[in-house]
Amino acid sequence: MNDDADLPKADHADSSLTDPAAQGESVSRLDADTQPDEDPQLDAKGISRRQMLTRSVAVMGGAIAAGVGIPAIFYVAGPAAEDSGTAEWIRLGAASSVEPGTPTLMKANVERRSGYLTSTEELSVFVTTENGTSFEALSNVCSHLGCRVRWVDEQDGFFCPCHNAVFNADGTVASGPPPRPLDQFEVKVEESQIFIKGIA
Amino acid sequence: MSSKIGDWVNERSGWRNHYAAIFLRKIPKINWLYTLGSATLFTMTLQFATGILLTLYYVPEPTQAHASVDYITNELTFGWLIRGLHHWGSSAMVLLVILHMVRVIAYGAYKYPREATWFSGVALLLLTFSFGFTGYLLPWDQRAYWATVVGTRIGEVTPFVGGSLKSVMLGGEEISGLTLTRFYGAHVWILPAVLLVLVGIHMYLVIRNGITAVPKRNE
Repeated sequence: MNDDADLPKADHADSSLTDPAAQGESVSRLDADTQPDEDPQLDAKGISRRQMLTRSVAVMGGAIAAGVGIPAIFYVAGPAAEDSGTAEWIRLGAASSVEPGTPTLMKANVERRSGYLTSTEELSVFVTTENGTSFEALSNVCSHLGCRVRWVDEQDGFFCPCHNAVFNADGTVASGPPPRPLDQFEVKVEESQIFIKGIA
Repeated sequence: MSSKIGDWVNERSGWRNHYAAIFLRKIPKINWLYTLGSATLFTMTLQFATGILLTLYYVPEPTQAHASVDYITNELTFGWLIRGLHHWGSSAMVLLVILHMVRVIAYGAYKYPREATWFSGVALLLLTFSFGFTGYLLPWDQRAYWATVVGTRIGEVTPFVGGSLKSVMLGGEEISGLTLTRFYGAHVWILPAVLLVLVGIHMYLVIRNGITAVPKRNE
């Protein structure tokens, strides 16, 4: 029995790695090699001992891989589901500082939580008004690919430097690649201060 | 995989020969102690998988290291599981390599023609300890800090080169952010690279030379 393990046998197994003659007829050769090892006593369903063991290993291996793999998906995707905290009213500043007819850039610092880190980000918003009483707040993030737009007085529009997009004063697309108008925030005025809430 | 896809791939790669040489090779009558090497290999694979996942959140920087570990353990979905597997897996791996080595000693399996397998195995043992030592600092808590103080001072008593060895390990005279980044770099890049090469050599030799039978009294 122990003689099976001696070096000549191992060399034989090794030679099948390198012997080019073995490559072509590998299937039949392997069958010839492995069949005699198999338990000739098959059970009622015709499953050999070798097949049974191979399947058991596959099932156990699959269970272990799933046991780590499925939690790993949640682990990787976890932070994407976290609330980064933009559902609160953010104060932008005095309503009187908005010039009627011209979009005015107003800034606010917002706290953003990502994982264990909290960072302060500057949020820039274009606030427009026609009459000084009702206001609209437009995101300065281009709806095409996220660059920041700026207001160009002479051309009466928002201009995005990345791909030459132009938006009208009300945020609608004038020209260029953007698929939709600039995003709008919800706006409220309290004690003559402008507050916004929402996306971006 | 005896399907048509398997045939197609086999015709172009000859993988069935390699599969047979690795998994269908003849072995002597053996016992369960012979599974310790495979168990170590399995644990290593688990350490690679969970370790790579941990790098998605871990930050090797003094002010953030512990906060990021705390976030992984206490807030992240299944973070406790991934870190727990890596933490306990490291202990399991140290235990398994030692048991594996004891089996090889007890059965005299290090003798001709398997000396090279033995030497690569000894290198793998030291490598496993190095993984444990460098990984221990990364949570950046009191235990990690003082274990590294003690560990590097043990290194310091090495004859002739001890002093410089400690300084090189620490990246200075004291534990600092530099120590943390170099332990991290060693733990996730240098040691795994060396480990993969050595495991490849070790397993090639095991398959090339075959495994030893359980020794008998009259041999």
